[in-house]
Amino acid sequence: MSDPVFWETLALTLRVSLVSTLILLLMGLPLAWVLAHKRFWGKRVVESVVLLPLTLPPTVLGFYLLLLLGQNGPIAQTLGFSWAFRFEGLVVGSVLFSLPLALNGYREAFRGLDLDLIQTARTLGAGWRRVWLEVILPLTWPGILSGSILAFAHTLGEFGVVLMVGGSIPGKTQMVSIYIYDQVQALRFDRANQAAGVLLLVSFALVYLVRSLEERWRSRTPSSVR
Amino acid sequence: MEIAYALKRPVRLSLRLYIRGFTVLLGESGVGKTSLLKAVAGLLPAEGEPFGGLPAERRPVGYLPQHFALFPHLRAWQNVAFPLVHWPRAQRKERALGYLAQMGIAELAERFPRELSGGQQQRVALARALAREPVLLLLDEPTSALDIGTREEVFSGVLERLRALGIPTLAASHDPWLAQRADWVGVLTREGLAQQGPPEEVFARPASLEVARLVGFRNLFQASVGAVEEGWVWVESPLGRLKALRPAWARLGQRVWLGMRSEEVFTLEGEENRLRGRLLAFWPQGLRWRGRLRVGQAELEFLLPRYRLEELGLKEGEEVGVRLEPRFLHLMPH
Repeated sequence: MSDPVFWETLALTLRVSLVSTLILLLMGLPLAWVLAHKRFWGKRVVESVVLLPLTLPPTVLGFYLLLLLGQNGPIAQTLGFSWAFRFEGLVVGSVLFSLPLALNGYREAFRGLDLDLIQTARTLGAGWRRVWLEVILPLTWPGILSGSILAFAHTLGEFGVVLMVGGSIPGKTQMVSIYIYDQVQALRFDRANQAAGVLLLVSFALVYLVRSLEERWRSRTPSSVR
Repeated sequence: MEIAYALKRPVRLSLRLYIRGFTVLLGESGVGKTSLLKAVAGLLPAEGEPFGGLPAERRPVGYLPQHFALFPHLRAWQNVAFPLVHWPRAQRKERALGYLAQMGIAELAERFPRELSGGQQQRVALARALAREPVLLLLDEPTSALDIGTREEVFSGVLERLRALGIPTLAASHDPWLAQRADWVGVLTREGLAQQGPPEEVFARPASLEVARLVGFRNLFQASVGAVEEGWVWVESPLGRLKALRPAWARLGQRVWLGMRSEEVFTLEGEENRLRGRLLAFWPQGLRWRGRLRVGQAELEFLLPRYRLEELGLKEGEEVGVRLEPRFLHLMPH
């Protein structure tokens, strides 16, 4: 492809998606576990808050993030740093934006897990580390992986949040979807076409992967044991 | 061994219970049997001895939930090897196979749980629990996940092996059949532990109306003590005046519950407690016949072997003579 900026943009987009997905994994797994299996006061509020990015216009989410992370925002004033228009800001926006999707995937995986297995594993002498590594993860990894891939694919194509919180600085905070928009604005349809084609291919491959994982997961959920 | 546990949630419950050989904790669902087992295993917050305060993974108990909870991604022998992590890797399989052999299912070692029947899954789960080297086995409703038709046969085999191993076992169950096979029975009601003792005692002399219902007394009547003599009492009941064994607590004029088992109605020999009734209906129950008689104002249920029914030549609607053996009439405080 002729435009070197595109490759920079694609590399940045992949990097933001990957980092966001990893953070979602670290943050989302415990959160999803708690939401799937624990009862606590205010659970519905937490559930609603984490689902909010699904219904909120991305520009609204991005706008609040911009206020929060910007030069004059509360974080800059109390902690002394500003993540607006930077890689970190893009990641924060993407994590929040894809949180509902990732959480749903993880939570479904955990909900399908028979809690008797975990309790029994503990009575067999396994501490929490072994329970996670040898019981929970082997039985839920297809669901966890499919949730992560969906979050990754979702982040690849995001527009509103990253535009608000990152601006569109080529090579620094410009993501592929914004690049495409800019090219169309400049009437360079050939470049827009090529970029859109790449995104279409990648997205299709990822969704295809998720479907295959779901098949596999369904065929080995514990319900088939009884 | 004795367990003494108190828990507040999900049910408020506090009890002391002896564990003698294969012990069954009998009770209806919802009275907290499962919760008690979980508390002893360390899976629910509770206070008690033994094992009080230890986390679940450090309690030397073998816990089997109702559906056995085999790990579906592991083969039978790998399931059994799960608690064997403190053994060198090379020895684990051999030891696991040893435990499977103890349960008589060494040939199923390579199967996954989904390839096993309910009874086979139960044996794998027991082998896995034994690999933990427990000082106490906890079984939750061990007969309920087995096929009804074969459950007695299947579980009898398991019971023999458990007895041979001699590990104290506490099984929570609502299955009177299982309780009859136990070495010791505790009866749990909503008010707590109502009675404990050897099964022949609990089944013949339940301590209260509730226990009597649980252990299969179908004939229960309000009555009052009309006369007291050495070792015997006469009670006024809806069936008429009847002679019964005298419990130590019985006083003249006291209101009592009178109970008798269906299979102990109809012993015709002897003079005392003879009644006449009309046969309302009878119907087969396995190879026996269960039926209802109207005696005075009350109805009496009976259970007879089929040869006895033929001997007596009973027909519905006919008048028949009945005798209730005084020693088998059981009185409980009202």
